[in-house]
Amino acid sequence: MKKMITLLLAGMMVFSMAACGGGQKQETSAPATEAAGSEAADTEAAGGEASDQGKVFNIYAWNEEFKGFFEKYYTVPEGVTVNWIINPSDGGVYQQKLDEALLNQENAPADEKIDMFLAEADYIGKYVDSPYTMDVSSFGFTNADTEYEYTIKAASDQSGVCKGVSFQCCPAAVIYRKSIAKDVLGTDVPEEVQAQIDTWEKFDAVAAQAKEKGYYMTASFAETFRAFSNNCTTPWVDADGNLQFDDQITAWMDQTDNYIQNGYTLTAGVWDQEKTDQMYAKGKTMCFFGPAWYYNFCMTNAQDPEEGCPGDWCIVKGPQAYFWGGTWLLAATGSDNTEMLKDIFETFTSNEEVCSNLVEQDNQFPNNTAVVEKYANDPEYGNTAILDGQNDIAIFAELAKDIKWENHTNYDQLLNEGLQNKLQEYYNGSVDKETALKNFYNYVKETYANINVPE
Amino acid sequence: MDGQNQKKTGKQKAVNYAKWGYIFIIPFFVVYIIFTLVPQFLTIYNSFFETYRDGLTQIGPNFVGLDNYRAVFTPDSSGTIRILKYFANTLIMWVAGAVPQFVIAMLLAIFFTSYRLNIKGQGFFKTVIYMPNLIMAAAFSMLFFTLFNRAGPIQAILVQNGMIDQSFDFFAYKITVRGMIALMNFLMWFGNTTIVLMAGIMGIDQSLFESATIDGANSTQVFFKVTLPLLMPIFVYCLITAMIGGIQMFDVPQVLTNGKGVPDELSRTLIMYLNGYLINKNFGMAGAISVIILIITGILGGIVYRMLSAQYKAPKQKRKY
Repeated sequence: MKKMITLLLAGMMVFSMAACGGGQKQETSAPATEAAGSEAADTEAAGGEASDQGKVFNIYAWNEEFKGFFEKYYTVPEGVTVNWIINPSDGGVYQQKLDEALLNQENAPADEKIDMFLAEADYIGKYVDSPYTMDVSSFGFTNADTEYEYTIKAASDQSGVCKGVSFQCCPAAVIYRKSIAKDVLGTDVPEEVQAQIDTWEKFDAVAAQAKEKGYYMTASFAETFRAFSNNCTTPWVDADGNLQFDDQITAWMDQTDNYIQNGYTLTAGVWDQEKTDQMYAKGKTMCFFGPAWYYNFCMTNAQDPEEGCPGDWCIVKGPQAYFWGGTWLLAATGSDNTEMLKDIFETFTSNEEVCSNLVEQDNQFPNNTAVVEKYANDPEYGNTAILDGQNDIAIFAELAKDIKWENHTNYDQLLNEGLQNKLQEYYNGSVDKETALKNFYNYVKETYANINVPE
Repeated sequence: MDGQNQKKTGKQKAVNYAKWGYIFIIPFFVVYIIFTLVPQFLTIYNSFFETYRDGLTQIGPNFVGLDNYRAVFTPDSSGTIRILKYFANTLIMWVAGAVPQFVIAMLLAIFFTSYRLNIKGQGFFKTVIYMPNLIMAAAFSMLFFTLFNRAGPIQAILVQNGMIDQSFDFFAYKITVRGMIALMNFLMWFGNTTIVLMAGIMGIDQSLFESATIDGANSTQVFFKVTLPLLMPIFVYCLITAMIGGIQMFDVPQVLTNGKGVPDELSRTLIMYLNGYLINKNFGMAGAISVIILIITGILGGIVYRMLSAQYKAPKQKRKY
């Protein structure tokens, strides 16, 4: 008996330590890549052909998404070691770490200088409008005609000097479950579904219908946030540094109030597991909002061969055209690997083979209009990884034409994130709306001392 | 005569040794001054300046006098002075964890040291109760988050048994969130306290317990009249270190609530507040808050020491005999 208890306790200990070890790993996996840096200096360069070029290429990123594509499609010149320094984006951690490294760039040894870093739409301006990014023409890169206009504008400073490229274009749409649409609307044909949700009023009406049948319209209170926020006509912060709510943000809050009260949506955040669990076949949610990167980044549950439901999805424009996110590759001032920078930029924007592979193998929407046109007009092409073989590129291509780059501030990431975090507490019932907004203002004041908030 | 001589040589020796003693503690003081004392003064210095970063641009430092302190104590739109709210949160969560921590630790320490119980396999149990302290607080917190979030197993089990509704959210109520934080702190620290208290009890002469028993004292009387008074110095030490740790509570609530301090910032601690200002390197405000925390810690430490030291001074005199 005693032995049994001892064994049991020992087993529990081992199990609990293993379980915690798992959690811990997840958290610390980011800095682990840094360790590779120390060995990098030992690597020999291949011959003397590129003598003025560095042997170590340092890339700052906030997740593994681009790393995957980079390793798949880009052949690193012989003798060059690539270091990935990955920090999570949540709570502004990535920006903090990147800022520290950039401010120290001048004093860093050549092999530790950042060569390239990734930036998101929500804060790209902060880096583009600074001396820490480099004019792409300084190392002979010229933007191709096939790049989407807005991606160039986003990567250019106020005087129009371009500092980098985007490897993707991010028009976003509504991705719906066919089986649920069939049950709710009586049809799962994209054109007919689109006709029933092409305005927010109609979308709300369908949400009520879905509710009656026992479904959710969306799986997160913030699911529609980007559809509104990326159509704002005023920036988050005005010229005098005052925080302001755009009508689109207010409209989103009103819609979400309605959805939460009526049970059309869940109180989960946009990245929460509770939401992504809804993408399994057993899920009860009809619509998700996202661009092409959403498939692989957020919809892995839907692609699960056993519990998922690949092929049960279709894509339509939805009530309002918008874009969401995007990953820009920016050239860091002080990089000693300019030839490689040029090479990488070209690979991911004008290399048609790579861009085609991004579409066919990775379900991406590349930043190359020629390749996009090719697939949009190809009757043979269809997305079968998630969708039912529908030509999603044709829909995204149409939406991409309308994307405009305006009304962005350097503060967007933490303001969008903070607003959602504080309002989530209102939507799950722990505080009233007034308190939630007050907490948001306090958060803004705390995070950005230079932004004035309403008293 | 003889005694005087002895005293003299003794003194000389002590002086010699003291010199070496001072030399040996130099490294500690050098490290302490460079890495603790100087930053401490810099923090105080910074608290009088406006200094933060807007994007990649450094703003300041501009001397602003006591403006940062004024800002800390300015009520927000609903009339709450936020630092007081966070202080109350910290205190409530610490007390909720520390009370069971000390009660259980005391009980276990008594059990383990009792010659009457004479528990077998003590080494094993001591290791097990100390175990949670070995796990990184952040990992422990992450584990609780994974267990209790709405997509987690606890929710699923309770819903299946019909004990809660699907819409129930452990993170929407202050009682559950604070409870989880207190529980984690309790689990992590009761083992440590047990070990220290045991060491304290074992330092007490066993014959005192025996004679008390022979005199007819029952276990309760032995505990309150013999063990507790003699244990007071160690107990006060434990309590003050635990309290300082409690005021600096950060990693458990930070990781559990992902830095949000849900709900309504009622699980946000003083250090989480401080950390909020560090996102954009706002060293002015962060400095002011640090200084206030330092003062609070000093005051609370003083109060606890005063209150309890009165009780343990008496037995100290007794012990002399």
